[in-house]
Amino acid sequence: MPSASVIRTVAKPLCDGPLASAVQRFQDTGDATVVVAARTTEVENAVRHVWQQTLAAPFPRDLAVVATGALGRRELFPYSDVDLLLLVTREPDSDLERKSLSAFLSSLWDQGIRVSHSVRTPAECCQLHAGNLELIVSLLDARWLAGDVELFRRFRSKLAGFLYAHRRPLAQGLCRLARSRHAAFQNTIYHLEPDIKQTPGGLRDLHLLRWLTQLKNAGKTEIPSPQLPAPLQAARQLLWTLRCFLHLRASRDQNRLDFQAQQALAEQPLSGEGDPAAWMRRYFQQARAVFAAAIQEMENVESRASPLLASFQTWRSRLSNADFSVRGERVFLRSPAAQTQDPERLLRVFEFAARHGFLLSREAERQLAAHLDILGEAIRSGRPLWPWFRSICSLPHAPVALRAMHQTGVLGTLFPEWRQIESLVVWDWYHRYTVDEHSLVSIEALFALRQCQQGLLRHFSELTEEVGDPGVLVCALLFHDTGKVNASSPHAPESARLARLALSRIGAPAEILDRVCWLIQQHLTFSELICARDPDDPSTAARVARRIGTVEALKQLILVSYADISAVNPEAMSPWRLQQLWRWYLATYQALTRQLQTERIEPSTELSPEMALFLEGLPVRYLRTHSPSEVEEHLRLYQQAARWEVALSLHRRDDLYSLTLITRDRPYLLACLAGALSGFGMNILRAEAFSNRQGMALQTFVFDDPGRTLDLNPGEMDRLRRHIELAALGRSSASSLVTQRLPQTPGRRRWLSPAVTFDSGASPSATLIEIVAQDRPGLLYELAFALSSAGFNIELVLADTRADRAIDVFYVTRDGRKLDREVETLLLEQLLKVCRA
Amino acid sequence: MKKIEAIIQPFKLEDVKEALKNIGVEGMTVSEVRGHGRQKGHTEVYRGREYQVDLLPKVKIEMVVPAARAEEVIRTVIQSARTGKIGDGKIFIYDVVDAIRIRNQDRGEAAL
Repeated sequence: MPSASVIRTVAKPLCDGPLASAVQRFQDTGDATVVVAARTTEVENAVRHVWQQTLAAPFPRDLAVVATGALGRRELFPYSDVDLLLLVTREPDSDLERKSLSAFLSSLWDQGIRVSHSVRTPAECCQLHAGNLELIVSLLDARWLAGDVELFRRFRSKLAGFLYAHRRPLAQGLCRLARSRHAAFQNTIYHLEPDIKQTPGGLRDLHLLRWLTQLKNAGKTEIPSPQLPAPLQAARQLLWTLRCFLHLRASRDQNRLDFQAQQALAEQPLSGEGDPAAWMRRYFQQARAVFAAAIQEMENVESRASPLLASFQTWRSRLSNADFSVRGERVFLRSPAAQTQDPERLLRVFEFAARHGFLLSREAERQLAAHLDILGEAIRSGRPLWPWFRSICSLPHAPVALRAMHQTGVLGTLFPEWRQIESLVVWDWYHRYTVDEHSLVSIEALFALRQCQQGLLRHFSELTEEVGDPGVLVCALLFHDTGKVNASSPHAPESARLARLALSRIGAPAEILDRVCWLIQQHLTFSELICARDPDDPSTAARVARRIGTVEALKQLILVSYADISAVNPEAMSPWRLQQLWRWYLATYQALTRQLQTERIEPSTELSPEMALFLEGLPVRYLRTHSPSEVEEHLRLYQQAARWEVALSLHRRDDLYSLTLITRDRPYLLACLAGALSGFGMNILRAEAFSNRQGMALQTFVFDDPGRTLDLNPGEMDRLRRHIELAALGRSSASSLVTQRLPQTPGRRRWLSPAVTFDSGASPSATLIEIVAQDRPGLLYELAFALSSAGFNIELVLADTRADRAIDVFYVTRDGRKLDREVETLLLEQLLKVCRA
Repeated sequence: MKKIEAIIQPFKLEDVKEALKNIGVEGMTVSEVRGHGRQKGHTEVYRGREYQVDLLPKVKIEMVVPAARAEEVIRTVIQSARTGKIGDGKIFIYDVVDAIRIRNQDRGEAAL
């Protein structure tokens, strides 16, 4: 440990005597109490001395010098401002009085004491209006220093009555000021370079707790002087040490613990540890306790203040159930002993929070935090907790639940990989927050997108709807920077490795692990592209599209990129970056859509002849979206279809059904199959139709069964299978059945106006038609039927439905050629008519 | 001394920086800006809906160089930033009265 101190001496007028020796002791021990006490005493002595010299004679009475603010609390740091109230019975009007006051203040300034003063009568001090809240708050700590002691007593008595009468509006005003201050720091303690006075969890929050307690316990004749609760005394000690160090190091009222100060602090003899990161972890641990206490106290005040809020909270308390009760928007455990003994039950409280957006009560937090060993044991024994975690990540208030899991230590127990980044400071000029906070803020940014309806953000918001379940994105964002714990290597691959370890330990399935790890590996792709490549260059966009693979993956990656950039700092997602990101999305989306038709699987000698024959001519997308076992299954169907004209497989997976059918391609095939499914009451969610070079069509549909026909009538599966086979062979009229069985949706509000776009440059041989419309039963059938009826050949289809929005891509030809402008105009009208029907 | 202000395509920044470094110019200020020149933005179509993009993302590079080197620097920026397409950007040149290095009060070209 270097012995040479970087702490400079305090200002010259103050560098001798008890303060100097207190500073010396502080440098060795870090004990700021002695410095604060010495500085307070020194300033008090100086004030009294100057009063004697300048004010005692002209004001034998009718003036008192009162310490307020930090001096009033006896918490004066080496370079704190000195707040003084010159309490008078009337406005000083004679020249002598005014000159004496001026001499008093000048003399203090000449001694290096920065005075913030006000001259007021007791009556002026006891007036409440919007502009003087901070003055009245500073009077809570008012203390006589010199002058007319009787005047001070009268003032103190009047002030006590005034505070008692106005304690509620004063407390509410204090909370408003605190909320505004917290918002200026994004409501988080986890700043890489915190202001240890103003940042949430800093000294100002300790003051807030003191003032709210004073107001709560105010009597008609006395102003209480409460002690800080014992659990927060360690926090105060640490914050005092930090502030004292910062003041002495900068020789001014400096409260920002910047990177250089963190490094310097770790090198001090007082530090006790040479690692700045360890210091910062200590700081965040204490700041977290202070912030939590401040928030709880403010919520108490605010719920008493607003009847509307209270009644809303009462209404929300009806969501209480057998396991949890809800009071004041916070969740309490009904049977803590039982609920904390079982890992699944322990996680259920977070699922409840994720579903309804409730915070945990302090009691619940303590109860959960005390039983983390149960969860740790479950993890070590390989208990599959993935379904619970997946559910939490997918629910509408997942960010709230994840924060609660973080605060209680549940997240770190569930994933030791996450614990490594808790309160981790990585020095970076652009990042504002610690690594864990950045990850949580990124998840909040993703969920906040859903509310955005303006400008480009509206398009990103639509993408969140189209991606649907955010669970995979949440997992990716949660772990995307865990690799930063190892500063010597690129973090993305390491983060992906850690995510795989963490999620596989709780039993996440392979397909989820692959998707999450891919997103983490690629999460910097667009950040890098924004500044380094031209989105208008088709060859670059095509390369990026190949790297990303599918439209589904693109949507996920662009949202992860948006969330990651947005969480760097509040200004990081500038309009400049947002626009660049969107340009890249559009360019890659268009390239991917074009590649559906242009990038086909070529003959390969590495495959078996049967497999090569089956795959040749299918879009490359096919191999990106199907696992090897699915491809094997499709080959088997392909071989059956060659013998029996048609082959299909129909499976149920969770709540959805999956149909794969192979037959020789022919006009109306897609319309017949879509019609057969819709006619059976099925709701098509996704569909793909491709043909290989042999002219065999591979059609896949994912659908749900809103009427539970298949669920309640097992025999209906076979009937549906036969029905589809007949439709595929052209032996049944699907259109007649469609009109009989289509589920009706009367009164449903149509909120999305349809959009149809044509792109004749997308492929050398076909025209791309993209249709975005409000989804409804039978829409895919009607679109396909309209195209086939008009004599168009559907070469390829990719249909998707998300959040009631159908996004269908068709590649079509007529007479083997692309469509001309005139035909496009006519077709546009027809397709819009179908969408609006 | 001349101040050279170049507004270029964002993806050309690294090329321009590298080219300037190769001729010994390393001091510069870079900002992310949005704007348009004669093309006045353009209309983009997303899912059939048209929207006007009137301010396009660009990067602004500012540097002050000795007057004798200005032409060389300008030539370098042009060569490294040019794609030949609309939107390549603009260069503006200003006369600079003086420059001061705040640390030691060097003045004029010595401060560059």
